[in-house]
Amino acid sequence: MEYDDLLNMGTELGYQLMYSGAEIYRVEESVNRLLTAYGLQPQVFAIPNCLIVSLNTPSGHPITSMRRIPSHGTDIELLEACNDLCRRLCREVPPLEEAKELVRRLGEGHRAHPTWVLLMGYVVAAAFFAAFFGGNFRDMVSAGLCGLGVGLWTLCLSKPLRVAGFFQTLIGAAIASLLSLLFTGIGLGVNLNYITIGTLMVLVPGMALTNAMREIVNGDIISGINRASEAILTAAAISLGVILSLTMGM
Amino acid sequence: MEQITAILLPCLWSFIACVGFGLVFNIHGFGVLICGFGGALGWLTYLLSQRAMGGDVVPAFFAAVVIAIYAETMARIRRCPVTGYLQVALLPLVPGAGIYNAMRYCVASETDLFISTLLHTFGVAAALAIGAMLSSTVLRIILPRLSGKAGK
Repeated sequence: MEYDDLLNMGTELGYQLMYSGAEIYRVEESVNRLLTAYGLQPQVFAIPNCLIVSLNTPSGHPITSMRRIPSHGTDIELLEACNDLCRRLCREVPPLEEAKELVRRLGEGHRAHPTWVLLMGYVVAAAFFAAFFGGNFRDMVSAGLCGLGVGLWTLCLSKPLRVAGFFQTLIGAAIASLLSLLFTGIGLGVNLNYITIGTLMVLVPGMALTNAMREIVNGDIISGINRASEAILTAAAISLGVILSLTMGM
Repeated sequence: MEQITAILLPCLWSFIACVGFGLVFNIHGFGVLICGFGGALGWLTYLLSQRAMGGDVVPAFFAAVVIAIYAETMARIRRCPVTGYLQVALLPLVPGAGIYNAMRYCVASETDLFISTLLHTFGVAAALAIGAMLSSTVLRIILPRLSGKAGK
């Protein structure tokens, strides 16, 4: 059943692309090109949490595969690996067995930063966004420490505790705000607002909102609305978390 | 001198903050610096055009145009998808603080401020998106022809 294998391979590649945070048009186009290179005429449809690939066998029998996409972050390294592989497969069109093996190995062998580097990223981003919004050196140090707290929560604590989505963001924002209250309270930080906003930049859905607008401008309206609602929901979670710890702190 | 510091210092901060975000998004090696430089370039454009015409929706549009041109060029040179560079370099411009402030007004039941801040935030996000899409689309039409001619 060569067509089943081809369909599975295309769907798997699309899944990995979606999981790495690629745009909708990139996912649809990549799967389409890959299967077209193998001589098929696929139909591909994707929205942020679902991917559907359908094709007709030469005898006219339609087959369809659907994958649900769990919530995911952004992983540019995986995205580049998927993109390179897709280009290579379209150019060389290797035998099916070999191509299947290449797609299967996609998720395994890719480089990922160790946790301490990711934490460093959180610290650096929070500290320098605080400076960027107008904080002084002491604000930067406190925002960096707050960023460390949020990073520890997001990367290390929320997964084993199985907190995801709305409440993950809510608790992250509460931690950020509580820590910045603490640091201004003990006299390390000066401007509470700059510290809080700098730290919240690592949680805030500004990127999601801009991506949503890009999807809408691009014509993927369902995906755009989906992402925009997600952004508003995340913003609501953040402000609830902040209000929660502000009232606790008072 | 003070003018120069007021412009260049924020650009430096946005460079380093973007490098931090590049790490969070699992970008490796030289790519992280490309993102950081894009962030600084975008913010420089934003500040300069804000000085020239004021407001913040139109400067955001111009900054997005510059960032998209930069990111598309880099993506072509390094032969990898434009997504990462574009997203990280847009981050300093992205209206995160706007959404946060809007929701803060909402919870404090200051409805007027909430509505105006929220609409303003949507405006900035739309300006960024349209600016980035516009120059990407134009470049995708122009660049292949240029390289095609160079190939001949």
